[in-house]
Amino acid sequence: MDGGTMIHYILKRFFLILPTFFGITLITFLIIQLAPGSPVSLKLLGPGGAGVRSDLISKEVIEQTKKLYGLDQPVYVQYGKWLKRLVTLDFGDSYKDHRPVSLKIREALPITLLLNIISIFLIYLISIPAGIFSAVHPESWMDKITTLLLFILYSLPSFWVAMILIIYLGGGEYLDLFPIAGIVSYGVETLPFWNQVGNLLWHLVLPVISLTYGGLAFLSRFSRAQLLEVIRQDFIRTARAKGLSESVVILKHGLRNALIPLVTLMGTLLPALIGGSVIIEQIFSIPGMGKLGFEAVLTRDYPVIMAIVAIEAFLTLISILITDILYVLIDPRISFEKVHQ
Amino acid sequence: MSRHNPFIKKRRCLFFLFLFLTLAACNVHVPKDTQTLVWHLGAEPDTLNPILATDVYASRIDSFIYETLLERDNETLAFKPKLAESWEASPDHLIFTFTLRPDLYWHDNIPLTVEDIIYSFQRIMDPKVDAPHLRVYYQDIKTVEKVSDKVVRFIFKKPYFMALEFCGGMPIVPKHLYDNGLHFNRHPTNRAPLGTGPYRFVRWNTGKDILLVRHEKYWGKKPDIRSIQFKVIAEDSVALQVLKKGELDLASLRPIQWVRQTDSKKFQEGFQKYEYYTPGYSFIGWNLRRPYFQDKRVRKALTHLINREAILKELNFGLGKLTTGPFYIEGPSYNHGVTLDPYDPETAKKILHEAGWEDHDNDGILDHEGIPFRFEFLIPSGRRFAEGLATIVKEDLSKVGIQVDINKLEWALFIQKLNDHTFDAVTLGWSFGFEQDPYQVWHSSQSDQGSNFVGFQNEKVDALIEKARVEFDLKSRSQMHQEIHSLIHEEQPYTFLFASPSLVALNRRFHNVKVYPIGLDPLEWTVGP
Repeated sequence: MDGGTMIHYILKRFFLILPTFFGITLITFLIIQLAPGSPVSLKLLGPGGAGVRSDLISKEVIEQTKKLYGLDQPVYVQYGKWLKRLVTLDFGDSYKDHRPVSLKIREALPITLLLNIISIFLIYLISIPAGIFSAVHPESWMDKITTLLLFILYSLPSFWVAMILIIYLGGGEYLDLFPIAGIVSYGVETLPFWNQVGNLLWHLVLPVISLTYGGLAFLSRFSRAQLLEVIRQDFIRTARAKGLSESVVILKHGLRNALIPLVTLMGTLLPALIGGSVIIEQIFSIPGMGKLGFEAVLTRDYPVIMAIVAIEAFLTLISILITDILYVLIDPRISFEKVHQ
Repeated sequence: MSRHNPFIKKRRCLFFLFLFLTLAACNVHVPKDTQTLVWHLGAEPDTLNPILATDVYASRIDSFIYETLLERDNETLAFKPKLAESWEASPDHLIFTFTLRPDLYWHDNIPLTVEDIIYSFQRIMDPKVDAPHLRVYYQDIKTVEKVSDKVVRFIFKKPYFMALEFCGGMPIVPKHLYDNGLHFNRHPTNRAPLGTGPYRFVRWNTGKDILLVRHEKYWGKKPDIRSIQFKVIAEDSVALQVLKKGELDLASLRPIQWVRQTDSKKFQEGFQKYEYYTPGYSFIGWNLRRPYFQDKRVRKALTHLINREAILKELNFGLGKLTTGPFYIEGPSYNHGVTLDPYDPETAKKILHEAGWEDHDNDGILDHEGIPFRFEFLIPSGRRFAEGLATIVKEDLSKVGIQVDINKLEWALFIQKLNDHTFDAVTLGWSFGFEQDPYQVWHSSQSDQGSNFVGFQNEKVDALIEKARVEFDLKSRSQMHQEIHSLIHEEQPYTFLFASPSLVALNRRFHNVKVYPIGLDPLEWTVGP
């Protein structure tokens, strides 16, 4: 492969990413601003109930608050200022607690990353072997049972499963095996390091189960279908004819070829890693990205919403690019030149 | 085909992973400290700066750290000295002079002075400070001035019966920490508060917990409980499970939890349940700008059509009291002489008929002068009570030919519709302080911009409200309020629903627990084994 062409291609794609990125953020900025509900009136009439205002004074106070949040300026000026700050990776301060948005994301991100990496890893770890098993024994009763089981799991709503797990495995009335709130115990810092890690993993059991079970069906079906198609091809028959053991035939010759399309799925993986699950984080009181983003939308915390959108958009665009490059590296039928022409 | 299966290997891996987890779990318990009160927080506060904070969680935590000039007595609710050892009001009720105790120190041993009080007032009034919710209360103060190191004077522009509450309850923050050039809204002290109160701030793990510990050099009576930990658990059904596990000591309960999920013998042995009424009530508000709600007879009929007793039983398991007016049901302003409009669909039909509402065009919906009786019922989403209520009201009103369309909106949109007056009927609750001024909700001047979003206008009520605002005698003021109560009930701009109790469960380890209208007071509790 010609390295020069590849660099040329990557550069060209990268410069296409920039306008797309600004387009996404601009549209989001406009939508947020146009959407009804304002952070100022939320501040004055909070979710607690009673709001106190007296006529003229309140207008003055509203104006002052708008100015404080920078909402008194026209939208294009606000967007310009936002962009200017973005260049230095400054996402501004949250309206909610006036802390820098980047700090809030730095707090939430590792938690969500950890949860997602573990659960995505488990999804792959369980569903690809399950898929292989089904493909090797197609239409056997085990195949049917796994399929049925995975689809049952797939259709169970996660909030319900999470609550059932909490009540029966972590609550005070039945089995009390797992913690059900937060990601570490309160006062965990008094334990030795490895027990702290154990404490963390112990807390992650129920949330990870709730995040994992629903993702199994798709991937196992996907790998089953791919593998079945490959197994029917001639080179597999050749491999068998050469007298290779069945596991070598399936794993080395079949699976490698069958999983090339999985690369497409990688494109969705990167943004999915940082997007937290609102429901699971809410139920297990996990202060991750899902909860941060959800609360920001409800309280109209514009700087936080914009920061999350910008990061997600950037990661999505980058991972689309990575997917395309990976394709060329893996599959000799695709090359940069063809795209280039 | 070989029976060797790669899946077996994977399964062994999983088994080891599971084994590892189980082994790890044996060793990871953090021992429980029985001297700590663990209190549930439904959400994390935004800040612990008492001037910036807007949520109940922050004010709950701050009440152990920060102190004000005066406080209310738990039993009589009358003001008594706190930071101020004495106070005095001028005969015209415009000047309030407070003398501070001589022995006041912040938790870092710096003395609290009049300068701190003046600084706090200046910050509240500073437009760059994100405290608009508080600033509206203090607009009528002309100045706060130092008389001597220990004496401070609040001067008001006009007399107002709540003036003492405003200065006596004003949040006071340490000037020596805040006044260092950093921006007030972003100041580090906002997340590491430092006050003069019985508990000292220790740590705040974002999204997890906030820990306070007893201040051993506290000037007043030291509490028995050594530390208080506030745990953030977002879902209340999960919080109840954590409570049952013994990892929470104090948590609020929903009515269904109170009645159905906490009645086991085991729970009763471990926990004591408490019930008390704080000032507040729920209601259905009729937008008086709409043609069908303009006639007070129609509003009366609507109240007769809504079976409030059944709703209370159905939705709140009978926990609550039916109210007839806008005042605290256990306070002196509430007029117990006003009788409740009973559920009576027959009378309602008669009244609607008298008011001219009949099904003239035979389409199943009442109409009057060409206007069909069809309205939108606005409710905030995610509130079980409002959703249940709206469904029952829709059902009941449809029986007499009134069509209700339920419009469920997210909170930010909901309050925007209230502010723009683009709703027909709405359900909501008010909560307020023990001292209550009906001005903001009921005075006609508040119907354009203020909280009088239903557009209630009544000259008699306006006059009484204005008179009560400058009446400093509790008894005569309460009489005026009672009169307002009966006038508002007569006009029915709201269909008043219920005062709902606060329901909590507390671990039986704590003793000397008394229930006051103000709630529970952990400062007087003792800890048993």
